[in-house]
Amino acid sequence: MSLMLLIEQALNGLQYGVMLFLMAAGLTLVFGVMGLINLAHGSLYMIGAFACAAVAAATGNFWLGLAASLAAAAAAGALMELTVIRRLYARDHLDQVLATFALILVFSEGTRWVFGSFPLYLDIPRALAGPVRLPGGIDYPLYRLVLIGVGLSVAAGLFWLIGRTRLGIRIRAGEADREMIGALGVDISRLYTIVFALGAALAGLAGALVGALQSVQVGMGEPVLILAFVVIVIGGIGSIKGALVGAILVGMTDTLGRFLLPIAFSTFMERSQAMSVGAALASMLIYILMALVLVVRPGGLFGRA
Amino acid sequence: MRRETVLNIVLALGLLAVPLAAQAMGEPFIVTLATKVAILALAGVGLNIALGLGGMVSLGHAAFFGIGGYTMAVLAAPVQAYEPLMTWPFELSGTKSMPVIWLAAMVAGALGALAIGALSLRTSGVYFIMITLAFGQMLYYFAISWPAYGGEDGISIYVRNGFPGLNTLDPIQFFALAYGVLMAALMVSWMLARSGFGLALAGARQNPARSAALGIRPYSVKLTAFVISGAMTALAGALFADLNRFVSPSMLNWQTSGEIMVLVILGGVARLFGPVAGAALFILLEHWLGGFSEYWKLFLGLALLGIVLFARGGLIGTLAGREVAHD
Amino acid sequence: MTEPVLEVRDLHRAFGALKATDGVSLSLRRSEIHALIGPNGAGKSTLIGLIAGNLKPDAGQVLLNGRDVTQADVAARARAGLARSFQVSAVAADLTVLQNVVLAVQGARGQSFRFFRPALANADLRAAAEAHIARAGLSGRRAIPAGDLAHGERRRLELAMALALAPRVFVLDEPMAGMGPDGAREMTALLDDLRHEAPILLVEHDMDAVFALADRVSVLVSGRIIASGTVAEIRADAEVQRAYLGEERLE
Repeated sequence: MSLMLLIEQALNGLQYGVMLFLMAAGLTLVFGVMGLINLAHGSLYMIGAFACAAVAAATGNFWLGLAASLAAAAAAGALMELTVIRRLYARDHLDQVLATFALILVFSEGTRWVFGSFPLYLDIPRALAGPVRLPGGIDYPLYRLVLIGVGLSVAAGLFWLIGRTRLGIRIRAGEADREMIGALGVDISRLYTIVFALGAALAGLAGALVGALQSVQVGMGEPVLILAFVVIVIGGIGSIKGALVGAILVGMTDTLGRFLLPIAFSTFMERSQAMSVGAALASMLIYILMALVLVVRPGGLFGRA
Repeated sequence: MRRETVLNIVLALGLLAVPLAAQAMGEPFIVTLATKVAILALAGVGLNIALGLGGMVSLGHAAFFGIGGYTMAVLAAPVQAYEPLMTWPFELSGTKSMPVIWLAAMVAGALGALAIGALSLRTSGVYFIMITLAFGQMLYYFAISWPAYGGEDGISIYVRNGFPGLNTLDPIQFFALAYGVLMAALMVSWMLARSGFGLALAGARQNPARSAALGIRPYSVKLTAFVISGAMTALAGALFADLNRFVSPSMLNWQTSGEIMVLVILGGVARLFGPVAGAALFILLEHWLGGFSEYWKLFLGLALLGIVLFARGGLIGTLAGREVAHD
Repeated sequence: MTEPVLEVRDLHRAFGALKATDGVSLSLRRSEIHALIGPNGAGKSTLIGLIAGNLKPDAGQVLLNGRDVTQADVAARARAGLARSFQVSAVAADLTVLQNVVLAVQGARGQSFRFFRPALANADLRAAAEAHIARAGLSGRRAIPAGDLAHGERRRLELAMALALAPRVFVLDEPMAGMGPDGAREMTALLDDLRHEAPILLVEHDMDAVFALADRVSVLVSGRIIASGTVAEIRADAEVQRAYLGEERLE
């Protein structure tokens, strides 16, 4: 029984991790290729969730909503890049932080204006509702299992894209040497827009998929954004592999910590106290993990130097 | 006299004159707003030591602001509940005395900044930004999930803490206190920038490798500045909690970090009075824009975007020009 | 014979498979200018990094005045009297010439943690800084931000900052780089004078300057010292000629 619970929690951790990966992948690509820190990446996550919820509510079809979330986030990302972000590449990190913080205000308040302050609800598509029996007799929600599959497929797709395609070669060249790819005749500004929109679409996808598990509301993106930062610090900037490992590490640590720490504390503490101490410590666990990585490898697990 | 100096004097006198006039006209609300400007400016002066003088883009200063606020609540809450602060290993009672609270808040803020800074300064650039942001968020979640101090609901302190010889419940007297602390902090910041330490910090900011070759450890210099910065922002947090007579995890939220940074930038980075100008502008915008739209932060965002993209140097930079002191 | 002021013993440092420093030993005696030359990629920068403390060796020792400083960091070595200048002029660009040199003086004296007294109001610091600025021939430019200086002037500022460390050893990385003939001549005279203050380990591409100044020359190729001796000996060395003329491609 307890082992089954543990496996269930581990799957939850994995699901959480792969969704974090979708966020972190776009961020780390943008860091790696353009050297830009984008605080408004969380807004793209929110836009994806709202687009999916609104379209699904209007049409009654989750899949149309999902398509809308990808389109809306990619479009918002491309627009953001064309109007604001490209003016920031040559600026210092402080300007990037401020401008993208301003974008958060614009997107958050704009969304509140359009949709109001109340959360929207997005239902899991009927085909994916309900549990599925896993080998070993564990009943696990099918939808979460699908999320794990989607996340891992996207990861595989990204590895293929970066490693095997012409776009990927250009992206890697851009990471190595910005002037070089200009000299090779690649249209850098178009490449940047594409990379940015790709990252935005991944964030929007994550927002829509997670939106069906939680409520869709303004401000939902930033806590995920900060977790994605933790993932990137752990994995190393610019590394897709680092983002994947870091994301799963963070997802697992957080989920299992919240599950196991109160139990561990209750072996030597009074129960209600163990619950609160365990919960408080569990909420800090991933940051402690990050601190440990910083002490041992300040550049992250897969970072360059 | 340089234009920036004139502007500084105007700002200092203006921040004093507005609440005095409001007091004379019987507008205590404006006095309270001016107090808020002074306290937020103080938080900004603290951040500016890290950001402007040390070049450390900290997105986690809400941590220190919140540590200051919670220090106040932790010390004052037992007094209103008629309980001791702690009984083990020795008995200690809480306090409602501002000087004691301020000192404790600064010490707590300094310790927090020492821990966060020691880890974050192992890196630089974007890493530093993300890490300070993440540690700030860690304290936020900790405050939410730690039930002893109110969890998500925060703690109310029903009666404002006292200061010897003043009636802190009187808005104008509390304003005077906040204003005095702000001026003292500006004085400290001014002296720091011109001191040998300030020079070493400028060297560490502009060229860490060169500084090390001169016998100066950039890490130590930056960490020291970060600690001073954290202590000052914590002091602002204690005052802010006293202004509201309430603390909650929202003081620790990443948005608070963002807003403190925004007001420093609105005023002008590394400008002595930048945070004062920025805080005043921020509160004015909040009231003016907030007056005709519930979604005033949308316009704040657009204004900020315009400033970053087109009017670099902030308010003081725009008004006083780009001249920099070379004395 | 007196003990060397700076001594490097069997220093090794590899980056992956590349042996950037491969068993280098050299010494610097009092009042001497010891030039280190070698083709690009020979490992000069790595060797300087190891001596200054930016890099830690895989094996070997660095001794300063007979004291083992192999484990000391850059700042500690600087305070022990090792003054280096940088290949790429590296000063704090927003600070004035005077501020840069005052920074160096207070760094050397370990006075960087004074929080309240204005640095430039400290007559003692300031007088010391002004003297070094005058020595480097920059007195007329003391209030100019370092970033606005001409290239040759920046090299002089580098030198003034190195002087401010009251050094026991100078490690000068291409002090002539980018200077015109007049500037190079003046710098040569200045260095010839400086050697009496402290011996100089001189990394330089300008062979005229090297041959005019150096008491000894060591030639570094592929991380090893292939020859070491007086100017005349080095000029006559067949292996050096080959390294410079024939096999540079192999680098």
